[in-house]
Amino acid sequence: MNKKSRIRASIFAVLIILVTFLIAENLFVKVQSARLHKEPKFYAAAIATLKAGESVVKISSQAGWYRVRTAGGIEGWLHSSAVQTKKVDLVTMDKSLKEKASAEEVALASKGFNEQVEQEYKARHKDISFAWVDKMLAITVSPEQLRKFLEEGKLAEFGGGP
Amino acid sequence: MISLRAGRISLLLGLVLLFMSCATLEKGIDAVSAVDASDVEDAVKVTQAVRKSFAEITEGEEYYIGRAVAALILSRYPVYDNPSVTAYINRVGQTVAIHSERPEIYAGYHFLVLDTDEVNALAAPGGFIFITKGLLKRCRNEEMIANILSHEVGHVAAKHGLQSIKKSRLVDAFKVIGETAARRFGPEELAELTTLFEEALGDIVEKLIERGYDRKYEFEADKLGVEGAAVTGYDPKGMAAFLQTMVDDSAGQEGKGWFKTHPSAQDRLGKVTKQIEGITPLPSEQKVRTDRFQQAMKSLS
Repeated sequence: MNKKSRIRASIFAVLIILVTFLIAENLFVKVQSARLHKEPKFYAAAIATLKAGESVVKISSQAGWYRVRTAGGIEGWLHSSAVQTKKVDLVTMDKSLKEKASAEEVALASKGFNEQVEQEYKARHKDISFAWVDKMLAITVSPEQLRKFLEEGKLAEFGGGP
Repeated sequence: MISLRAGRISLLLGLVLLFMSCATLEKGIDAVSAVDASDVEDAVKVTQAVRKSFAEITEGEEYYIGRAVAALILSRYPVYDNPSVTAYINRVGQTVAIHSERPEIYAGYHFLVLDTDEVNALAAPGGFIFITKGLLKRCRNEEMIANILSHEVGHVAAKHGLQSIKKSRLVDAFKVIGETAARRFGPEELAELTTLFEEALGDIVEKLIERGYDRKYEFEADKLGVEGAAVTGYDPKGMAAFLQTMVDDSAGQEGKGWFKTHPSAQDRLGKVTKQIEGITPLPSEQKVRTDRFQQAMKSLS
């Protein structure tokens, strides 16, 4: 192998490492809203709330959680079930492909069985009330309430986990 | 010497490429908001064309299906509107949900008590979970409620409701969705899709309320429920204790609620007992939890 070949091989190796590094980095929120926690625990304080489709950069991972950085520069923890990876966005250098992948994400969030279908369904079934469904959605348990409940009940890492 | 120089050049090039890649990455993220309509059309067509089964129902679609199933359940049962009991049930429910296989779902898990003496618990897709007052009255401690709610969370996490939708129905729905590229459906498409939506709801409600899930789904939910409760720190024998009450009371109640829609309590008890034998260390009931359960249930009329 001559000098040029070695240099080419080294550049190629660096590129492969970079691409591999970038593939794993970007995550998209797939739930309506996800709390960004201070620590990798559901009962840890929420430092931001992220909306469906928002992208974050993955920094590290730990037992089902990702440490991420938001577009606004806030760092915190998201559970893996709240996000999906979109590898194609990051590795492809083709602009149209990249846009299509992003467009797909945007489109999927608003297509299919959606609010428009629900409105049509409600128009057809005026006897079916969604009032309690909306009230039900308003019932939430904050991270602080959850922590207190776990702690007082000696549950999970507060004394009950196997 | 030569390889050292090549290494330095590679390192330098690597750093330059790293900066270039980061800049490209940022542009890529910016491009999300600068997508033109034709790209959206292409992407939607391609994506919808390959969707075939319940597994490809998006989180958002699951949520809208779940909302309507929940509304249908609530059209059959009145709500037991007791804020302190509701708050307690939601705390127990969230506690087991965060230890499930799918802790984050589109709009989270929410729990409500139904005002009926019928013994039943129902889980609509998207995390809308119902437990009847009749079932609560059977529970003697927090361990029993936690295991039952963990079983219901298991149904949601494993998407058992969505699996009740007939496959042909889904294929038709995905076809309608794929045929239109506009952000909003036209009147004909909307009418067709809403009819398919109604039929999908019918499939789920029939299983959930009328006939019950397939036995394998109930056994799977029991398994997930017991696992989830134990990982949370609840005594999984709470599930066995509940099933035992159902075995004791099953005579003459075959046609109602839980008895109608669930496999024999005796069969389930056998499987659950075997599963519990394999859990070590086994969490045990705690007085502090039983005390707060009794406190919360004081106002249960």
